[in-house]
Amino acid sequence: MSVEVELAEVRDFLAAHHPFDDLPLQQLERVATTLKIEYFRRGTRIISRGEDNHHLYVVRSGAVELHDMHGGFMDRGETGTSFGSYTLVQGNPANFEVVALEDTLCLVMDAGTFHDLAAAYPIIGNYFDIQRTSRMRGAVASLHVTSSGGAILKTKVTDIITRPAVSVEASESIRAAASVMSERRVSCLLVMDEGKLVGIVTDRDLRNRVVAAGVDTSLPVSQVMSADPATGSADALAFQILMEMTSRNIHHLPILGCDGTPEGVVTTTDLMRLEQTNPIYLVGDITQATDVAAVAEVSKRLAPVVELLVTQDASAEDIGRIVTAVGDAVERRLLGLAEEHLGPPPVPYCWVSLGSRARQEQALAADQDNALILDNDVQPEHAAYFEALATFVCDALVECGYPRCPGDVMATNPRWRVPLSQWRAEFTTWLTEPVPDAILRASIFFDMRPVYGDPRLFQKLRKHFLKQAPAARLFLAHLTKRATENEPPLGFFRGFVLEKHGANRATLDIKRGGVGAIVEIARVLALSVGSRAVNTQTRIAAAVDSGALSAERGQDLHDAFEFISYVRLRHQAAQVRADRETDNFVAPDDLSSFEKRHLREAFAIVRSAQSSLSHRYPSTYVS
Amino acid sequence: MFATPSADKQRRRALRSAPSGPLRDYLQTPFPDPRTEVGDLQLLAVDLETTGLHPKNDRLLSIGFVPIDGLSIDLSGARRFVVQAGVEVGQSAAIHGLTDDTVAAGTPIDEALPVVLEALRGRVLLAHYTDIEERFLSAACERVYGTRLPVARIDTLELHRRLIVGWGQEPMRLALRLWAARERYGLPDYRAHECLIDAIACAELYLAQVAEMRSHGDSVTLARLVS
Repeated sequence: MSVEVELAEVRDFLAAHHPFDDLPLQQLERVATTLKIEYFRRGTRIISRGEDNHHLYVVRSGAVELHDMHGGFMDRGETGTSFGSYTLVQGNPANFEVVALEDTLCLVMDAGTFHDLAAAYPIIGNYFDIQRTSRMRGAVASLHVTSSGGAILKTKVTDIITRPAVSVEASESIRAAASVMSERRVSCLLVMDEGKLVGIVTDRDLRNRVVAAGVDTSLPVSQVMSADPATGSADALAFQILMEMTSRNIHHLPILGCDGTPEGVVTTTDLMRLEQTNPIYLVGDITQATDVAAVAEVSKRLAPVVELLVTQDASAEDIGRIVTAVGDAVERRLLGLAEEHLGPPPVPYCWVSLGSRARQEQALAADQDNALILDNDVQPEHAAYFEALATFVCDALVECGYPRCPGDVMATNPRWRVPLSQWRAEFTTWLTEPVPDAILRASIFFDMRPVYGDPRLFQKLRKHFLKQAPAARLFLAHLTKRATENEPPLGFFRGFVLEKHGANRATLDIKRGGVGAIVEIARVLALSVGSRAVNTQTRIAAAVDSGALSAERGQDLHDAFEFISYVRLRHQAAQVRADRETDNFVAPDDLSSFEKRHLREAFAIVRSAQSSLSHRYPSTYVS
Repeated sequence: MFATPSADKQRRRALRSAPSGPLRDYLQTPFPDPRTEVGDLQLLAVDLETTGLHPKNDRLLSIGFVPIDGLSIDLSGARRFVVQAGVEVGQSAAIHGLTDDTVAAGTPIDEALPVVLEALRGRVLLAHYTDIEERFLSAACERVYGTRLPVARIDTLELHRRLIVGWGQEPMRLALRLWAARERYGLPDYRAHECLIDAIACAELYLAQVAEMRSHGDSVTLARLVS
């Protein structure tokens, strides 16, 4: 008997609309036989807020409108548009509503069929991920609509550079340089050699090093310039640069583009032009502190400053950088005090920050994570000096509000206070003979940033490990496993999946499967492409640039990281205000419905990124 | 047109003399209660293609149907048969596109009917101008089982007449009118004259009509739809 089920009409309709057009026709034919058809008169609510939805709807004819929980317009769907995937993926009840704008006929797919399709065809799952997250982007943007005072925190350094850099060749005479300065009315001149910045000359240099010293002005300007000056990067925030200048007590800072060409010079005048805001003075006061107690006194002001920044709507990224800059200033000042106390170091060293401070994402009350890279010329008799230095600084950091690292990743630990050659060997072991436990502890060392001392020691070490990392597949697989094992708390909306144990009962850990997971994903990706980037957002951008991450997913991860970090900061700022210890455990009642909804979406992005990462570096053979 | 109570009375009467088999099985299940709300009503939208309009002389060529549960059309229950009619399709091929070869390779009517009866059991027959479907199916049952086929039925053409101002469309142009009625609700264009598509189109029209009636606020029962 020939029983034909010929739903060609339905099949062809699906085949003409995204994402179903990516499925084979035979598959669409099978899908068609599982569908239902429903009709909604204009004005009918198809999905209601607070109610469960178990279907994916495809508009067959007519039009619908999606509204968020506050009734705000989210999207409009016409023939071929799908809706309802939110609750299928992230759980019920719906936090949005869908209303028929016209008389609307829908094809209705049940949850089981939807999940089977998404599992069998990643392109379908991805499409609905993207559909959801594109609706999220608006939310992140709306977070940072600044009220008063917010703008200053978002000012890029390139925005305060008022004119292009003025420069001369190193071979030019001092007199020629001086006349360029007076013609162009600049107080600072960049000295270039073969297109590279090699020095800087200021009015003050001409006065002190030339006129007062009676130097022959026909000599090359390179003789009196300050060689190898400190520089800032063009993608930095004005704030960061200004804090850098304040803490180093310099008045001119050349700003270099990503290709190393000077884009301009920031001066103290630029600094004065900016609103006089707290963090800058904080850093200035730290720099001027004459003993540990004074540094500790000033650093107590950090928490209220952060609270202020949060109320000013600074982004999590900006605040992370500011907290980091203050932390750097504290460490630098303490190291300066240690050297005053112990005398100059017997061999060069580089004090490095690790972990969140290195990534410039330091939260309040973060542990200290630091290490010392010593010059290879270090002798056994120098050990006592560096031990004393480390002890002085780490003890003082505790006084300043930075607790000891529970994992003992500190310069006081002799293992993390070794010569460059030994650091190289350590990294080679991690990269070539990865042992799961060791990797767990080692990952923090791949987030490293020089804070004080000779940065070349750090640069050599970085060059060493970045050269090996992209080819270290087993190592990357281990990191991937770690990056994907903490699943985001996606059950969040279905009555919340909460920490079930201990003091943090009935709260949500937004670090483990949230910011923590993104940090780890970004680290694997950056190392796999040999990128120098350490900051998570910069790493995500580097992964996109190198093709390891699609632009779309990169943008999603950027937004998700910003959003979760923001919620975390707000939570911590509130704890500071209540005079409690800060942590990462958020009680659902403390979240607005807006935050809940977008957290859920951010977590979905994390989960989806984890799953594509595990395809890139399968950890099947890693136990 | 029969009102439902008398339809069910007919069913019980027919049951008394029906031979055992698919028709008797069908007759043993009561028709839906006239007080049933449309939200709970079960229907089977049916469309037939025939060699002409007269059940006595003309033959069934194909059957398409799709169930409606409440306000939802269930495509998983959709079926279509080409029936081995044993006659030449003649001029009607121009309308339905079925060739003599296709029809010759079709399902014998005594194999197709049990499937239709099973699907229709306990459901209301829905069609656009139900007379054709009812009379052709009934004639087929008479030929195969020796007994006519009582049905509970809802006619979307009749509903359309009631919902719009203007009467008296010609029965000869039924197919055209189904698509004209759909236009009123902004329902999509399909390739007409394929019986399963027509059955689905009719089912969609029914959902739109019911939605319009419900939008006036009154409860809509089966009794309101048939009388």
